[in-house]
Amino acid sequence: MVATSSVGRRLARRQGGGFAAIRSQRLRQWLITAALLGPVLIFLGICFIAPLGELLSLSFTGKGGPLASYREIAASEVYRKVFVNTLNLAFNVAVITSLLSYPTAYLLSRLRGHALSIALWCVLFPLWISVLVRTFAWILLLGQNGPVNHLLVGSGLVNQPVSFLFNSTGVYIGMVHVLLPYALLPIYTSMRNVEQTLVLASDGLGATPLQTFRHVYLPLTMPGVAAGFLLVFLLALGFYITPAILGGLRNLTVAMLIDLFVTEQLVWPLAAAAAFWLLFLVLALVLIASRFANLTATVVAR
Amino acid sequence: MTNKTRIASNIAGSIVLAFLVLPILAVIPASFDDASYIKLPPDMMSLRWYRVFLADPEWWQALITSFKVALLAATISLLLGTAASLGMQRVSPVTRALITGIVISPLVVPVIMTSIALYYVMRPLGLHGTLLGLALGHTLLALPFVVVNVGISLRGIDPNFLRAAEGLGATPWRAFRTVTLPLILPGLAGGGAFAFVSSFDEVVLSIFLAGVQAKPLPVKMWETIRVEFTPVTAVASSILIAITVLLFAVVKLTTGTRTSRRAEHVS
Repeated sequence: MVATSSVGRRLARRQGGGFAAIRSQRLRQWLITAALLGPVLIFLGICFIAPLGELLSLSFTGKGGPLASYREIAASEVYRKVFVNTLNLAFNVAVITSLLSYPTAYLLSRLRGHALSIALWCVLFPLWISVLVRTFAWILLLGQNGPVNHLLVGSGLVNQPVSFLFNSTGVYIGMVHVLLPYALLPIYTSMRNVEQTLVLASDGLGATPLQTFRHVYLPLTMPGVAAGFLLVFLLALGFYITPAILGGLRNLTVAMLIDLFVTEQLVWPLAAAAAFWLLFLVLALVLIASRFANLTATVVAR
Repeated sequence: MTNKTRIASNIAGSIVLAFLVLPILAVIPASFDDASYIKLPPDMMSLRWYRVFLADPEWWQALITSFKVALLAATISLLLGTAASLGMQRVSPVTRALITGIVISPLVVPVIMTSIALYYVMRPLGLHGTLLGLALGHTLLALPFVVVNVGISLRGIDPNFLRAAEGLGATPWRAFRTVTLPLILPGLAGGGAFAFVSSFDEVVLSIFLAGVQAKPLPVKMWETIRVEFTPVTAVASSILIAITVLLFAVVKLTTGTRTSRRAEHVS
C-alpha cells in the first residue's frame, strides 16, 4: 500500500515534470521563432510602417481641417488633371506592354534549350539594369541627331528629324521599355502551363486554328494577361524617373507632383495627401490583381 | 495554330526581344566617344571620358559611396532576410502569408511615397545624407529578393536530412550550420547579389536620402543629366552596366541555371 502510493507519487511527480519539460520545450521553440522573425518585423515597423504613419498624420495637418489637403487635391482642376493624366498614361502603357508581350511570350513558350535561355536572358537582363540607365539610353537614341532619327531621315520615311524627347512619345517609349518584362513574365508562365492536349483535342474535333485560339488558348492564357496588365498598371502609376527625364512639363505625373510639393513648394500636407491618394489607387489595383495571380511571385520576378 | 501566325509571332517576338536589350547596350559605344558631345555611333573611339570620370573626385567618390551603401544594404538584407525565411518555416501558412505580404509591401507602395516619408523622418534624426540612412532605405527594397530566394532554397531541402542530423545527436544550431546552411548557400548568393544590385541601381529613394557627404552614383548621374548632356554620364551608365553584368555572371556560375528556373517559378 505504502509502496504503491509512493510509486504513484513518484510517477505523478515525473509526469508533472514531463508537462513542465514539454511546456519549456514549447516556450523554447516559440522563442526561437520570435528571435528569427522579430528583427525583420521590428525593422519594417521602424523603417517602413512608422514613417508612412508619420506621413499619414502629416496629411491631416493642412490648414482648414484634417481632410482639407485631400479635398484641395480632389477639388483643384490642375491637380485632378495630373491624376487623370497619370491614370491615362499608366493604363495605356499597360495596354501597349500587354499587346507587345503576348506574341513575344508565345515565341518564348515554344522555345527550348539554348534558344530559350537566350530569350529569357533578353527579358531578365533589363530588370537588372538601373531604370536611370535604361531611360538615359533613350535620350541617346531618340535625340534630334540620334541614330533613330538618322535612320528615319536616311530611309526617307520623314523629311526632318522627329522630336521624340520631352513630350509624351518619349515617355511612352521609355516606360513601355522599362515595364515590358513585368507584363511578359506572367503571360509566359500562363502559356507554359497550357495543356497541349487541349489544343490538340480542339484541332482534332475540327476547329479552325482561329477557333482553337479564341475558344481554348486565349481563355487559358487570359489570367496571365490580366496579371501582367495589372502589375504594369500599378507600377506605372508611381513612375517618376522616366517621365521626369523623357517627358516635358505637360507630362507631369503624380510622383513628379509629390516631388514638386516637397522640394519646390514645401507644402508637406499636400504632398502627403497626394501620396495617399496615389496609394489608394494602387491598393485598389492590388485588390483586383490578387484575384488573378500570386502577386508576390510576380513583383519579385527578377 | 497556323504556320503564318507562328511566323508572325516569331518576327514580332524577336523584334520585342531586340527592343528590350539593344537600347541598353547603345550606352556602351557612346561612352567611348571622343567628341565633347554624345554622338551615336561615335566618329572616333577613345577613353577620353573615362579619364574625365576618374579625374573628377565627385564622380569616383559617388562610385565608392554606391559600393559602400550596396554592401551595407546587402549585408543587412541578408541577415534580416535569412532569419525571416528560417522563421517563416516555423509558423502556420496563414502567418507566413501575412509576413510575406508585409515584407513585399515596399515593392508595391509607390517608391516616391516611401522616399518622402523616410526623408521626413530621417532629417530630424540626422540619418538623412548618411551611408546608414541610404542603406536602411535600400534594405526595404532589397529584403523581398533575399526572403524569396532563401525561401526557395529552404523549401528545396529534404526534411529527412535534418531528421537524420537530429537523430545522430546534432543540436539544432549544429544541424543548421552543417546541413541547412551549405544547402541554402546558392539562395544566399543569389539573394545577396539581387540585394546588392537593387541598392546599386536605386534612384528615387537615393535622390531623397542622399546628401553632400553621401551621394551614390545614380544620384550624381541624375543631377548631371538634368543640367548638361555630357558623355561622362554614358561612362557612368556603362560602369553601372558592367558591375551588374559581373554580378549576374557570378550568380550564374555559383547557382547554375537558377535564373531560368526562377522565371518558370513566376506565376
